Amino acid sequence: MAFNPKKQAFNASINAVTLGAGEKSTVIGGENTLPFYTFDAPMANSPKIALEISDDGMASLQMPGMKAAFEGCASVVDMVKKAEELHGISAICLHFEGADPNGENKSVEECVALAKEVAEATALPIIIMGCKNIEKDAEIFNKCSEALQGKNIVVLSAREEDYKSVGASAGMAYNQKVGAESAVDINLAKQLNVLLCQLGVPAQSIVMNLGSSCVGYGYEYLSSTLDRVKAAALAQNDQQLQMPIVTPVSTETWNVKEAMVSEEEVPEWGSLEERGIEMEIATAAACLTGGSDLVIMKHPAAIETIAKFIDSLM
Amino acid sequence: MAKFITIGERIHCIAPSIRKAMAERDPAPILQRAEEQLKAGATYLDVNIGPAENGGEELMQWAVKLLQENFDNVPLALDTANRKAIEAGIQVYNRSKGKPIVNSADAGSRIENIDLAAANDAIVIALCSADGIAADNDERMMHMSTMLERGLEHGMEAEDLWFDPLFLVIKGMQDKQMEVLEAIKMFSDNGLNSTGGLSNNSNGMPKHIRPIMDATMVAMAMMCGMTSAIVNPCDLRLMETIKSADIIRNNTLYADSYLEI
Repeated sequence: MAFNPKKQAFNASINAVTLGAGEKSTVIGGENTLPFYTFDAPMANSPKIALEISDDGMASLQMPGMKAAFEGCASVVDMVKKAEELHGISAICLHFEGADPNGENKSVEECVALAKEVAEATALPIIIMGCKNIEKDAEIFNKCSEALQGKNIVVLSAREEDYKSVGASAGMAYNQKVGAESAVDINLAKQLNVLLCQLGVPAQSIVMNLGSSCVGYGYEYLSSTLDRVKAAALAQNDQQLQMPIVTPVSTETWNVKEAMVSEEEVPEWGSLEERGIEMEIATAAACLTGGSDLVIMKHPAAIETIAKFIDSLM
Repeated sequence: MAKFITIGERIHCIAPSIRKAMAERDPAPILQRAEEQLKAGATYLDVNIGPAENGGEELMQWAVKLLQENFDNVPLALDTANRKAIEAGIQVYNRSKGKPIVNSADAGSRIENIDLAAANDAIVIALCSADGIAADNDERMMHMSTMLERGLEHGMEAEDLWFDPLFLVIKGMQDKQMEVLEAIKMFSDNGLNSTGGLSNNSNGMPKHIRPIMDATMVAMAMMCGMTSAIVNPCDLRLMETIKSADIIRNNTLYADSYLEI
């Protein structure tokens, strides 16, 4: 008797969420199977990659390979235009590192002006990432959401402390997408979604940033969180966890020891750049197979590899 | 692993207002009870049209369409002794939110309702009795096997037979309660789904006692692996107990607002 594999497509699915507007808008989520289980059912939309670009532009590119890919670029806007030519990039993540009050402390107006320039320069969907300062981020998200109305941007992120203000502005008043951020706390992940929905943000406007960590640096916590979220969303049809997952990878992988310690210090580890690329690839691949619908990455060589990885598994 | 399924019991032709509404095809009282139950967290709604010997087919179709059109294809349990009326209801039933439930079959004269469920890709509530209440769990399990075999022979998946041990009234049959719970445990150990008219246990008790007894019974039944029950979802204490037990069983993921969703 022939072996008939039992299909495990679920009667529940992840919400399909559109990012951006116009010809280069992209859809994440929509699947009703475990990640890349295309033998159970086709994945409705392939997972996507966003390129992280810092507001510091070229100065933030620490590796020769990164610099080479953006050679000739003078500004963030130049980099964004260049990114459109690179393979595998579906969105731009504009990271306002410089807004940190404990750092450069760039003004909110400055950030908004840059976001507008970027939005004018590219048709790719835009993800706004803050500087991890709650008050400053809330202001940046609110003002960017207002300035970029109609662009259908994502703001990363609404947290327990500021979900009301970010949800009300980005998610409701300006009709953008809200990332609910929960730092690898599965119960908080669900709770934030519940609270945002109770506030009035449509479930279809929420994506989850469950937190992130580099492989080897507590990644197993993220891994078990991703697994439990997917099990709840698909096997238990938990509508409060059916939001697609967006995971920042580059912000975690490029500041671990393997990606920073010089070749002179540990010659036996080999090329510093290769090490960093490998950490980024390993982390992104782990997130995607765990259930991330979009990963935010930085090194063009790592992006190239992950794009190929996604294509070959679809 | 799956969330406990509540079947709301309040659309029942024993209630005078519902009986009248069904007779006169007056949607308002039925829709109101449906809305209350869904708001309170019911997953399925039971539609009990009684014996419905005359005009049952047309009545069931009317009720199914009425409820599904008004409540986003809410899944329904079709509850009547009139087999043709159940079939007629399934003909107009939209299964996008869940298969219809045939309520109910037993191991005696109503065993053909299993065939009906099988022929219509429906779920069936299988009462573990034949002619009268089972004397003990040996008898309950015998009925269970008879109905399971019947379903499998007709091509059903075992998961679509929801076994009902028949809850017994405490006032009068107090010594039988643990046996009912043990039966649920046996269904669960066999990987089978279960359901039942839970509130029967508290029949005849003072009104303020019943929610306490029903909530305790559902918690103990869920401990034994019960997967569903036919309940009054407007009983807040009961629903809070079900939601809490679902958390402890890891059937739903905890969030601070779990009672509100």
